[in-house]
Amino acid sequence: MWLDPHRVAPFPLSAGEFGGRLYLPPPSLARCAPVLQFARVLHALRRHASLVVIFLIAVTAGLATLQLRGAEAFMTALWHAWDLFLFIVPSLVAGLLLAAALRQLLSPDALARLMGAESGIFGLFIATLVGTLSPGGPMAAFPLVLVLAGAGADRGALVAFILAWSLNGFQKLLVYEAPLLGLDFALLRTLITFPMPMIAGWIARRVPIAWEPPK
Amino acid sequence: MSGPQIILWVIALAVLALCMRRGMPQARRAVVETNRGFWRILPMFCVALPMAAFLSELVPADIATEWLGDDSGLSGIMIASLAGGIMPGGPFVTFPLVITFSKAGAGVAQMTALLTAWSVYALHRILTWEYPVLGWRFVAMRLASSFFLPVLAGLIMQALLPFFAINLAAP
Repeated sequence: MWLDPHRVAPFPLSAGEFGGRLYLPPPSLARCAPVLQFARVLHALRRHASLVVIFLIAVTAGLATLQLRGAEAFMTALWHAWDLFLFIVPSLVAGLLLAAALRQLLSPDALARLMGAESGIFGLFIATLVGTLSPGGPMAAFPLVLVLAGAGADRGALVAFILAWSLNGFQKLLVYEAPLLGLDFALLRTLITFPMPMIAGWIARRVPIAWEPPK
Repeated sequence: MSGPQIILWVIALAVLALCMRRGMPQARRAVVETNRGFWRILPMFCVALPMAAFLSELVPADIATEWLGDDSGLSGIMIASLAGGIMPGGPFVTFPLVITFSKAGAGVAQMTALLTAWSVYALHRILTWEYPVLGWRFVAMRLASSFFLPVLAGLIMQALLPFFAINLAAP
């Protein structure tokens, strides 16, 4: 029941994921097995929260479809889903490959030097560009935010980076938006939202909320 | 394969070639990460796509017209922004849902606001990533400087729409 704190190393949240510090459980917590177990379950839920939620919605919606619209509509829906899956998979694999290849080439340290507090609009522009080109989901982007912050990017640049990644990420654009909603819409929407991260970053430098990057 | 898909493959292979020029280990790592990423994302697809398909069967046609249709204007844009902000899950959920809403009569400007809000507010992402990693002060700062963007994007799209023929329901 009591765990040696040193054996806590494999604890999934502690291992170097975010510079190794953020999620390291305090020793008092680490000694208490039930609490640790609870934290593990929480961690698993947190990692798979959207999967669980979407699964529940899918089951509910599936049962409702079966009940209200009949078996034929149920099968039609599944067939549509399969169609969409076959349609997305080629883009998905290409997008993942591009993301992984870019990760091998980009150097966050060199980029962060261009994004300091004195970098002005140019720094915000670089942050927006880097965010737009940053591939992958939040599990890739947020650790990168920490790296950029540690390497000297200021808060305006970090806000611009996060927004550019989530709003205009090229991977999302090419894998999902253009194939599913049409190239015209995807391009027009991206043109509209492209400058927005810079505006938000400019405001963020002036918002009177004190924030220090996590050490 | 469609046009964007071919462009994507060309870019991906070009960047992979750059990796190879830098060294074979890098290129190999890129391929290994691609494989791992695919299997990690696959379960999500298996539940998200049927969910969107079932929902599109359930949502009666034209139900979205009144609240989110082209004529719903600013109020529709604001409703869409709220809905987008609380929508859980990644792009594999959101984009199929946007198709569903569009088939049910939602307008293009409203869907622009919804997609922007889903990116900017992203309640699920704040709770699972941004707050734990960067702290609530950062979340507050970011929201204070970006909360108006979804409505702004919707309004700009609405102003531009007369000049473009865009139909989301039939791509």
